[in-house]
Amino acid sequence: MEERHIKERPEVGDAGRDVERSVAVELSGVTKRFGEFVAVDDLTLDIYEGEFFSLLGPSGCGKTTTLRMIAGFEEPTEGGISVDGDPVRGVPPYRRPVNTVFQSYAIFPHLNVFDNVAFGLRRAGVKGEELQRRVTDACEMVQLSGFEKRKPSMLSGGQQQRVALARALVNRPKVLLLDEPLGALDLKLRKEMQLYLKNLQHEVGITFIYVTHDQEEALTMSDRIAVINEGKVQQVADPPTLYELPKNRFVADFIGQTNVFSGTVESVREGHVTLRTSSGEKVEVTARGVEVEVGQEAHAAVRPEKIRFGSEGDNVSSTTIRQIVYLGVSTQYITELSGGERLVLYQQNSREEDNPEVGEEVPVAWDARNCLILGG
Amino acid sequence: MGKGRHGWSLGLAGLLSPVTIWLGLFFLVPLLFILAYSFGKSGVYGGITLGFYPGNYLKVFNPLYLDIIVRTLVIALTNTLLCLLLGYPLAYFIAFKGGRRKHILILLIMIPFWTSLLLRAYAWVVILGGNGIANRTLQFLHITDHPLDLIFTPQAVTMGMVYSYLPFMILPLYAALEKFDRRLKEAAQDLGASRWHTFWRVTFPLSMPGVIAGSILVFIPSAGEFVIPNLLGGARTVMVGNLIQQQFLEARDWAFGSALAVMLAVLLVGAIMFYVRKVGAEKLEGV
Ligand SMILES: Nc1ncnc2c1ncn2[C@@H]1O[C@H](COP(=O)(O)OP(=O)(O)OP(=O)(O)O)[C@@H](O)[C@H]1O
Ligand SMILES: [Mg+2]
Repeated sequence: MEERHIKERPEVGDAGRDVERSVAVELSGVTKRFGEFVAVDDLTLDIYEGEFFSLLGPSGCGKTTTLRMIAGFEEPTEGGISVDGDPVRGVPPYRRPVNTVFQSYAIFPHLNVFDNVAFGLRRAGVKGEELQRRVTDACEMVQLSGFEKRKPSMLSGGQQQRVALARALVNRPKVLLLDEPLGALDLKLRKEMQLYLKNLQHEVGITFIYVTHDQEEALTMSDRIAVINEGKVQQVADPPTLYELPKNRFVADFIGQTNVFSGTVESVREGHVTLRTSSGEKVEVTARGVEVEVGQEAHAAVRPEKIRFGSEGDNVSSTTIRQIVYLGVSTQYITELSGGERLVLYQQNSREEDNPEVGEEVPVAWDARNCLILGG
Repeated sequence: MGKGRHGWSLGLAGLLSPVTIWLGLFFLVPLLFILAYSFGKSGVYGGITLGFYPGNYLKVFNPLYLDIIVRTLVIALTNTLLCLLLGYPLAYFIAFKGGRRKHILILLIMIPFWTSLLLRAYAWVVILGGNGIANRTLQFLHITDHPLDLIFTPQAVTMGMVYSYLPFMILPLYAALEKFDRRLKEAAQDLGASRWHTFWRVTFPLSMPGVIAGSILVFIPSAGEFVIPNLLGGARTVMVGNLIQQQFLEARDWAFGSALAVMLAVLLVGAIMFYVRKVGAEKLEGV
């Protein structure tokens, strides 16, 4: 099962438009060391043309370093990178068909918004009316019309970020590298820009490599996501697969919330696994292609929204409610099993009459098919 | 409220008073003297009669003196440009490639300040003189068989001036380049700018405050220079500074000397204002 996800092609996420898509960026066995420290560890990825591809991982996992290697600011210590089919080792950044939206914006402080956006076009020899038109369009695109004559020092952080976006997009590069481009925006503008970026990417058909540590952002925007931890790829898949079939514990924890039971495999029969935790809890799991043997240590995961109050299901446990967190659309219940393990569940806020209270003892249930055996 | 404000301005005056007194005593008062003298009338045996004699200023426009003023400005300008041309790469190198040795390198640049300018100018006399190190080396290498006229030439003056004023250019340039955000270079390269373009479109414009400060710091004192042309220049490179010195110490025409000094000051202030307005205004704004 583990291998299957890595090999999966993007047709799952992208309506299978074109099965034979060409590769826009290929990383093969890329390793980057800074002295002894391994920032990126044996990274192999194929990113397809026109794809919205995200690199997702916690701070310091090597996302920016990966982008910098694609852009040409760092050379891999080992391995190779190809952009648009051509190996790029030794090619300077200004000759690579990629543009970057930097994590730090890096807006030119001595140029006004117009000249910042026009910078790349001028270098490419675009001038006169076409320059005027394309820059104006790009400013309009990021809702900065009327700001063209402003100096960056007179812009807010979010506005500067949008200048950085326009400045890169206006060049229509083969590949656009975005390093947390929405980090400085408030929630509303962030959501707007997410939608806007997604539409834009669809329209112009530029390959986006998008770096974020916000899993929700990655899930809503990407065709495929590579989850990275400590320089290593954990899983590459489209958002539903990543959420429903996380390959290991790290991915399950990082993408959304999850309840994990660790225990010993008690029985395996016809795709059905029974796990016994150390505290004696029995967990029934439908095994999807996972090879486990009786007596082996294993982890079972179940998403909080797949658990319900009641005593009908493959797994039924008695829990004590410890905390109730109201989340708007749903309510989060943090409960404790009789063995002491924590179990989190979400309930839609539709039925109001029979909600349990803190301290109450209630049975919860979930089905074996919503439960997953995790590697690692 | 009124009291508070009064108290505040009194406090400020008190705080500033040593500086105010110092500047008033040693800068403003002499300047006023010079201004008064420049309209006075020199006695035959020195001394001065105050009054209003604009003739001193008309005398400045004598072609002989105009020539010296123009030459002074040309020398000062040449010196400023040479210092910029030599100093920029140096400051650039120290700021961007100096790494951990940056501070030591900058200290080395400042070491010449530890000895007096007069001594350093004399050192050049020793080096460039008829029987100096330079000539003896050239003869020893059989590049020439008789001593060359190295000293007492305009070139010798320029050399001495560049040598003396280079640090004044390097320090402000270094300060400007040192705080330059390297990520801007990457952004420029990412947008297709070669190293050359990156330098001219991003690095150089952003170092403009340093260029302007350095140019002013070199131009003003070199326009008033008299020690270096005195020691290294001989008769052909008389600068305004020498002329003024002459009027005060030899010709004893204090009135004309003062008029020359006032003219030079007015010229320099005018030149600086023009420069800052032309080069500075749009480059400095918003940076
Ligand atoms: N030039 C460098 N020299 C030494 N270590 C470096 C260098 N650049 C990055 N690193 C290290 O490599 C690791 C990965 O850095 P990177 O900037 O790629 O992280 P990131 O995933 O982008 O994190 P964030 O989400 O915080 O931006 C970090 O631990 C960082 O300290
Ligand atoms: Mg980063």
